This record gives sequence, structure tokens and C-alpha cells, in this order.
Amino acid sequence: MRKLLAATLGILSAVGGFVDIGDLVAASQAGARFGLGHAWVLLVGVVAICLYAEMAGRIAAVSGRAVFDLVRERLGPRVALLNLVASYLVTVLTLAAELGGVALVLHLASGLPYLLWVPVAAVAVWLVLWRMRFQLMERVFGLAGLTLVVFAVALTRLPTDWGTLARDALTPGPSASGWGVYWFIAVALFASTVSPYEVFFFSSGGVEERWTATDLADARTSVLVGFPIGGFLALSLIATAAVVYHPTGASLTTLDEVARPVVLAFGAAGLVVAVLAFFAVTFGAALETGLSAAYAVAQYFGWQWGKRVSPREAARFHSVLLLSVLLGVLVLMTTVDPVTLTEYMLIVSAVVLPMTYLPILIVANDRTYLGGQVNGRLTNLLGALVLVVIVVASVAAIPLAVVTRMGQ
Amino acid sequence: MRMQLDHRLLDRQIVDADGLLVGRVDDVEFALDADGVPYLAALLTGRVALGQRIGGWTGRLLVAVAERFSGRRPASPLRIPYPLVARVDSTVRLRVRLDRLPTSPAEEFLRRHLIDRIPGADRASG
Repeated sequence: MRKLLAATLGILSAVGGFVDIGDLVAASQAGARFGLGHAWVLLVGVVAICLYAEMAGRIAAVSGRAVFDLVRERLGPRVALLNLVASYLVTVLTLAAELGGVALVLHLASGLPYLLWVPVAAVAVWLVLWRMRFQLMERVFGLAGLTLVVFAVALTRLPTDWGTLARDALTPGPSASGWGVYWFIAVALFASTVSPYEVFFFSSGGVEERWTATDLADARTSVLVGFPIGGFLALSLIATAAVVYHPTGASLTTLDEVARPVVLAFGAAGLVVAVLAFFAVTFGAALETGLSAAYAVAQYFGWQWGKRVSPREAARFHSVLLLSVLLGVLVLMTTVDPVTLTEYMLIVSAVVLPMTYLPILIVANDRTYLGGQVNGRLTNLLGALVLVVIVVASVAAIPLAVVTRMGQ
Repeated sequence: MRMQLDHRLLDRQIVDADGLLVGRVDDVEFALDADGVPYLAALLTGRVALGQRIGGWTGRLLVAVAERFSGRRPASPLRIPYPLVARVDSTVRLRVRLDRLPTSPAEEFLRRHLIDRIPGADRASG
């Protein structure tokens, strides 16, 4: 239990990245169209985020510096400003999508109109950001997100053909939709597992919790338990969609279609659990993206940030936080579809990924930050390999999006 | 003390004696001593210093925003005399506390007109 509590920061970081509103639908779509053909992408993504979150967590624990500190210090003010503008845009539009996701879940649960719930969701999210203690927030929403495990359990009640699932996972192929779409979904899925805001949030969370060099073991646990759990939850979403939708080739676009496998397995009770899980993960993702946006801005400029000090001592940080939530609401009031919004954001975030991950790798080798805790050879080798994958995904993202017309 | 300015000092976080965050080393100021030898006189922080260093239209935009908050034109960067620096590692640590330094006009403005008006602004949530 202690291990699990120590891991909640990692779980919440991962949930916001892997199974937020966009991924609930995108992962299920991938399952419906390609079966488990993208399972390996999740595996690569989880290894990549574990490596880099571990480095970022180690840097945060030993030096107290979070990821956007490193971006500014290593890339200089101009390139870092470019990264800041892009990352802020991606993160706030994702925040908008998550607020929309919370509203969609409340609509699904209550039947009241979706747009009515948007301001309610925004106020609730902002109140948590304004008042709730960081560690309590991380535990409540990290653990609540685990209810999504109902999808994995549903697999045992559905007519699951484990042999087919395993065969799809081991021999990935494009089936009827073509290689372009297959790779487009692969890049989007990879980008979602390594979204920059996950490392912003994870490293800043470590600073919020006052990690020191003595907490390195807890930081590592948080990474090695939290992110794989996120990956497992995303995989179970793909798998249930593969079992229920792949045989008929049906496509799915809405949250209640995502929930259907659980309803088939457990009836109305399943629907209740699925709705609770959707609420927990979208709300958690909204908290993560909201904070990450403000963390990045405050760290770029060197302002006081965080929940450790009172809001009046971090007035600029809390103003950005408030502004970001308001921007999110404004975006949703244009009646844009939250799911479509996250799909576009994943592609933009894929393009800017290297600007966040390169500085982490450089600083993880800098003794002025880490003393004797710098990367070993194996970590550097794997880190460099992951960086190559990140650069390839970054370069391929826009051409694939154009050629496949966003995976149509 | 010899130091590589662009890697060890510029863009680093400035931290006060209690560990509160002050700002970044957005630029530095040199002065000449009696023999005409230049020495590092002060750290400059804030958007005016940053904007002037970045230059171009982005730099001018940053300066313009800073001028709006301070109500002064031209706004001058916040100066921290170099003797106030205690040591430099992954951050620049000062000998003094934040309240002994000039406060950022934007922080002051947003505190007074926005954040202090919301209930609970003076309690840390931890």
C-alpha cells in the first residue's frame, strides 16, 4: 500500500497522458480498426516515458529544478520561448478538451445538455487547483483513475479470443485501412504516451512534494509503477474495443460507445463504474494539464510557482492558472468537439517533443545539477535511442496527418 | 572567481536566502573598476531585461507588457547587485530575503487587483 501511495504522482501523470478524453476514444478507435496491432507502440511509449520521467524526477529530487527550468537553461531564451508558446498552446487546448471531457461524462450521467456542464466542470477544476493540497489531489485522482481497470476485468467476461489478440499484437499490420492510417495512429498514440505536459507535471510535482536526494527511491517507484499502470489501462481499452468492435469493423466516436464493452460484460453496474472512471481520468487530466501550463510559464520566467506557497505569494502563477481555465472554457464555447481537439493537439505535440526531451537528456549528464547521480551508460544509450524515435515521430507527424487527412 | 557566463549564470534561477524564487538571470551588467578592468556588477531580471536581450519583435512585445504593468516608460530592469550573491550552483543563491529586493510590478499588480480579491488567497494549500 505504501508503494502504491508513493506511486500516485506517477499514476496521475500517466493517466492524464495515456487515458485522457482523447485517448479514451482514440485508443478504442485503434482497437476497433486494427485490433491489438498498436500494442507495441504503447510498449515503446511506456519505456520512453519511464526513462525520461525517471531522469526528470532524479533532477527534480537532487537539484529542485523542474523540466521547464532545464528547457530555459539549456535552450536559451529564444528557442525556449518558442517551445513555451507551442507547449502552452498544446497544453491549454488539451485542458479545454479535458474540461469538455468532464462535461461529456456529466452529460452522459445526467442527460442534461453538455454545454451546461462546461462551466460547472471548469469551476470545480479551478477550485481544486486553488485550494486542494498537492499530495491529497494526487492521491485522490491518481487512485480514482484506477477504476478504469474495469475494462481489463471486462475482458474476462467478454467472448475474448486471446489467441487472436496475441496474434494481432505480435504481427501488426494495416488490415483494410492501409499503412498510412496505421502509422498515423501509431504516431498519435506514441505522442500521447510521451506528452510533454506529463514530464512538466511529474517533475514539478516532485518539487511540490519537496523531494530531496533521499526520496530518489520513491521517485523511481512512482515512475516504474505509475507509468506502466497507465500503459496497461490504455492497452485494456484497445483490447476491449478490439474484442467488441474489430470483428464487425464498426467504428466508434462517442464516449458511450467506448463504454459499451463494459456494459456488455457487466450491464448497468458496469456503466456506472465506467462513467465514474471516465470522470476520474478526465478530471485528473484537467488538473494535470492546467497545472502544467502554469508551471511551464512560471518556470520559463523564473516566477514563484506552486501550491507550497499561498496564492498571493505566487500571484503571477495563479493568474496564469486562472487565465488558462478561462481560455479552456472559451474554446469549448465555440462548440468544438473535445475529442477532435485532442487529436489535433497530439499531432502538434509530436512535432515539438524533441525541444522538451533533449534538454532533459543533456542535464541528466550535468554534474553541476546532479553531482554523482548523473546518467549511467545504459540510460544514455536507451535515452539516445528514444530520442531518435521521438525525432522520427516529430518529423513524420505532419506529413502523415496531411496524407491520411487526420486518419480518415 | 572565473566563470563561464553563458552556461553557468545566464538563464539560471535566482533564489533568495529562504529558497523562494526571485526570477531568472535574464541579463547581466558590467562596470569598469578604477583601472578600467570590467567586472560583473549586477544581475538583471524581469521581462524588460529579457526583452532587451532577446530583441526583435518578441523582445519589444515582452518589454511593452512589462511597461504596462509598471506604468513607467521606459521601464528599467530589476537590478540585483552582484555582491548579494552567496553562491552559484544549479541556481544562483542570494544572501538576502525576497522582501529586501525590489518586487516585480506585475506580481504586485496581479496580487492587488486579482489574487487578493479571491477568498483563501493568503493560505498555502501545501
